[in-house]
Amino acid sequence: MIAVAQGSLSLPGAELPAPAGPAPGTWSPLHIATDRCKGCELCIGACTRGALALDESRVNALGYHPIQLVDAAACTSCALCARVCPDCVFTVFAAPRAPRGTVR
Amino acid sequence: MTIATIPPHELHHGHRVLMKGNEAMAEAAIRAGCDAYFGYPITPQAELLEWMARRMPEEGRPFVQAESELGAINMALGAAATGARVLVSSSSPGISLMAEAMSYMAGAEIPMVLVNVMRGGPGLGGIGPSQADYFQATKGHGHGDYRVPVLAPSSIGEAMALMADAFELAEKYRTPVFILADGTLGQAMEPVELTFREPARLANDWALSGADGRPPRVVKSMHLEPENLEVHNQHLQAKFAEIAAREVRWAGENLDGAELVIVAYGTAARVARTAISRARDDALKVGLFRPITLWPFPSAALAEVAAQARGVLVVELSAGQMVEDVRLAIEGRRPVAFEGRTGGMVPTPGEVLDALRRLRGVAAGNAAPTKEARP
Amino acid sequence: MTTDTPAGARVIFERPDLLADRSTHYCPGCGHGVVHRLIAEVLGELGLGGRTIAVAPVGCAVFAYDYIGVDFVEAPHGRAPAVATGIRRVRPDAFVLTYQGDGDLAAIGTAEIIHAAGRGELLTAVFVNNGIYGMTGGQMAPTTLLGQRSTSSPGGREAAFHGYPIPMTEMLAIMPGVVYAARGSVADAQTIGRTKQYLRRACEIQLEGRGFAIVEVISNCPVGWNMTPTESIERLRDVVAKEYRPGVIVDRTKEA
Repeated sequence: MIAVAQGSLSLPGAELPAPAGPAPGTWSPLHIATDRCKGCELCIGACTRGALALDESRVNALGYHPIQLVDAAACTSCALCARVCPDCVFTVFAAPRAPRGTVR
Repeated sequence: MTIATIPPHELHHGHRVLMKGNEAMAEAAIRAGCDAYFGYPITPQAELLEWMARRMPEEGRPFVQAESELGAINMALGAAATGARVLVSSSSPGISLMAEAMSYMAGAEIPMVLVNVMRGGPGLGGIGPSQADYFQATKGHGHGDYRVPVLAPSSIGEAMALMADAFELAEKYRTPVFILADGTLGQAMEPVELTFREPARLANDWALSGADGRPPRVVKSMHLEPENLEVHNQHLQAKFAEIAAREVRWAGENLDGAELVIVAYGTAARVARTAISRARDDALKVGLFRPITLWPFPSAALAEVAAQARGVLVVELSAGQMVEDVRLAIEGRRPVAFEGRTGGMVPTPGEVLDALRRLRGVAAGNAAPTKEARP
Repeated sequence: MTTDTPAGARVIFERPDLLADRSTHYCPGCGHGVVHRLIAEVLGELGLGGRTIAVAPVGCAVFAYDYIGVDFVEAPHGRAPAVATGIRRVRPDAFVLTYQGDGDLAAIGTAEIIHAAGRGELLTAVFVNNGIYGMTGGQMAPTTLLGQRSTSSPGGREAAFHGYPIPMTEMLAIMPGVVYAARGSVADAQTIGRTKQYLRRACEIQLEGRGFAIVEVISNCPVGWNMTPTESIERLRDVVAKEYRPGVIVDRTKEA
């Protein structure tokens, strides 16, 4: 963890508790730090599967509609969204690889 | 032209040599443990840079002739931010260029030593000696609410001793420190007993060294929230108050029973000394009050000394800058006269003596001084 | 990491350790965020987090020290290459990195970058070029393109009145002290990936003791350009990249 430098600019939402992860027993290919998202939509432009959209039903503490994964089945964990995101809101997971010798 | 005349085997503490002021200051810095030197050529201190260019590589230490004084002072800022003991030297126009970085270093509390070998100004001016950067050095130099200690040697030997003291002050208080010399001191060669001292290094928890095994550190002067910046300024002011309480230095000569007192520093003090000895022929008893720290200015001591005399004459190689601090210290209780030359001209003992005679006439009209400092 | 990995899942992408887990002051869509992440990734991958002493600029990235978890010193505007030179000369074991915008490097700091590069200082310089002065409200920069409007060139930049955009990295690349000069972009994931390679190479050049390396990254400034983030990325790709062309400009390690 990075210790925050003293005297630095204090923004609303700058130090929030970690958002909750996926519900137990299920998993999502994306974990989104919605409280850091600024609704810039660059991830939407990067996603080739149309899996992302702004959640216009809510506004986060920074004042933006955060991004949400609207079609988890379409997501291939390619991480293009994460690579273009200026705020590093995405953590990208992929399903575990099948063990060797197993027929898929 | 550099005359690096001293062979290495003669360059040791206590040895008596004939040495140029610029070179003596440079060598004193090296012996004081100066880790790095950054500079740019400007008359009349080029010999300091050239001495460092030869000697620092001999000691295996970094020397850089930067692209400008801006480059030099910013290199010094970076090096000093890592805890290195750093020296920069320049002369008046170059010192003006360094004002920005000095303000940053005062705000970020970065220690270093800056030598100003003063020359005639304003602007490009001339290359003769001057004391016209007193305001610049003592009243902040760069922007913002800050002061830096200013040390004023009046001989080459003293300049060497003050070099070690300057590094010590800088590190003790985490501040840039000025050494205010003038062109005469830089250029003159005089017999001097070499005075070298290496102050001990202080442990610190702020210098940058790479965040291995500890949280990262930031050396900065920006505090964007006004509340935070005010707290920081209060911290700085408390530091300046501590320096002012503890680090005032001055020297007095012939002050006992003196009718008049000359206040002068640097080369002006040496001229004053000659005038003072000639004044005895006029049955005029004159003492010398020589500030060594121009900031913090020895106001309290000066007020006491002035109270014992009839009048004060301030002698400067300028149109009158320190005289304002003298008047503030004395608060109108004694007449304060001023004698100065500008443009690189040096007041002569004869001019100073004439000024003393005029002051005696003025001061004689006043009541005899009382023993108490305050009437 | 602030999230738990779901049972059995592989982590494909996560925030690098050296990038602070906090929101930044940068505007939505601003390329600084991407460049910060790339630097955090590269420094982490090269194991340099504990050795780096970085120099922060004046400009929007003045707060870089709040986001990248290494030792930092704040430099006066434009002076970062000189400050970095001072650090480099007294700390031979440190890894020294500068981060500057276009005003910092190509306007007020022109002398400092040219001379640090000319001296071949063992430094890695990052130059984020978004062709505008963001922090101060959108004024013209030395790299603002002809015809581009700004608050101090409201009619659009004109060569006769404002002069031409300055190709700083090409100019620096002429000098033998510059071992590596490259220009990346944050236009899309592919160019971002290439930019990361340039940054990594520039860091390796320093680790190999070869000399000065600079990576310019052309970036977007949605607010300064008066565009949405998506529009600004399009402009970056379709307009800016035609004038400030991405690619390796010089790599003297590859010359015979």
